[in-house]
Amino acid sequence: MLRVDSLALAYGATPVLEGASLEVPSGRFVSLVGPSGSGKSSLLRAIIGLQKPLSGAIETDIAAGEIGMLFQDDALLPWRTAEQNVALGLRLKGVATGTAIASARQWITRLGLYGLSERFPRELSGGQRKRVALAQVLAREPQLILMDEPFASLDAIVRARVTQDLVRLVELRGISVLLVTHDLEEALALSDVVYLLSQGPRARISGRYDVPLPRPRDVMKARIHADFAPLLQRLWNDLSREVGERAA
Amino acid sequence: MSPKAAWLRQAVAFIALIGVWEACADAGYLNPLYMPAPSNVAAALFQLFAQGTIWPHLIATFSAALGGLAVGLVIGTALGATAALTPLVGELLAPVMIALNAVPRVVLAPLFVIWFGIGIGSKVALSFILVAVLIFFTVFTGIREVDRRLVERVVTLGGGRGALLREVYGPSVVAWILGNLKVAVGFAFTGAVVGEFVAATKGLGYLLSFAQSSYNAALMLALVLLIMAFVLALFGLTGWLERRLLRWRG
Repeated sequence: MLRVDSLALAYGATPVLEGASLEVPSGRFVSLVGPSGSGKSSLLRAIIGLQKPLSGAIETDIAAGEIGMLFQDDALLPWRTAEQNVALGLRLKGVATGTAIASARQWITRLGLYGLSERFPRELSGGQRKRVALAQVLAREPQLILMDEPFASLDAIVRARVTQDLVRLVELRGISVLLVTHDLEEALALSDVVYLLSQGPRARISGRYDVPLPRPRDVMKARIHADFAPLLQRLWNDLSREVGERAA
Repeated sequence: MSPKAAWLRQAVAFIALIGVWEACADAGYLNPLYMPAPSNVAAALFQLFAQGTIWPHLIATFSAALGGLAVGLVIGTALGATAALTPLVGELLAPVMIALNAVPRVVLAPLFVIWFGIGIGSKVALSFILVAVLIFFTVFTGIREVDRRLVERVVTLGGGRGALLREVYGPSVVAWILGNLKVAVGFAFTGAVVGEFVAATKGLGYLLSFAQSSYNAALMLALVLLIMAFVLALFGLTGWLERRLLRWRG
């Protein structure tokens, strides 16, 4: 369980977030959507400890080592092979090098990268690099994964495949996820709960939407579920109203 | 034009140039006092090796250059890394290094002769100062400009200062150093030869000075060719090292 309570963040003198509260229950997939500049990424950075909040609380019963983070950029070490990058996550968790490498190979194969273990990041496609980054996080068997628009740079087909793989693994292992995304459809297709962040500065959580789609979930079929379109419409209307009000 | 045959075209052009030069010298168009024929330069070079007189000089220059290069790499790396990672040290060291970088450091050669004598010490010191300042800035910039996303990646994976040094800063700095290693090798030889030129009893710089005082242009050109050949061989070695260690760059 992760609970963010009345969190306020600023970049220097510029306020970003003000009083953001949300909850990620154990084993649930939660998304955070909102306009650009509303502080979505900053909120994730505060949770993982990369940014100091002005006020508010971040409470979790999950140990720091059990929280994984997937960035917008894959941020793989360019001088390490795919296998070494995945193993790095385990080695930094205290796993012996030999065991880490063996586990890394398994994860690379599991994520459809068989035969690419020895390749350097520059020798991989965008989708393959993203899978390596995902393997790096999943290999550590985290209880919670924070994702900052990790699939934004991928084309539609690769994105659908990678997200489906992610959902399958997250459901199988009961991992909690907090995903930040611009994409309302993606948020609804993947999540159990979606939070809407208002337009910044001084952004706040302005809505919470429970997604009643069944699990295990097919992320493509979810989009044609009867409950999907009305929920998307509602979320879209609320987001438009929020952006419109601030612009006015 | 095929890029693969570039070396062939370059070789043909070089041979043609040597041929024209030799022909002009034979025809008496060139004063041998200033511009000796290539065959005379080759003969001077051959004599240096045939008589065995070159070896102590080569050993002296190589020892000074490689000694200065090694010490410069170690000290430059240590100072650059410390300055980049410790703000107070950076604040104190950066102005000194900027000042040292602003002047042509070979002007320190006479001072080093006073401090360290006319032996190998003053030549190593000059090579060292030339290399160390270059490597200091290489490492300092390498660490300061390291990709922040990689740092955050390792931090979010639970890596501390040691892991950051090992996994991010170290490889990043090695890439920067290898990128500048050819320049450092050139600097190291410049330091050694200039140092020998100022005051020495042996070394290629000393031989150059001797050739100049005896108006022996053939010997001078032979020595220049020799230095170029050895430095190019070292460039080849550093290039090989770069390709091997920076394979990830492609």
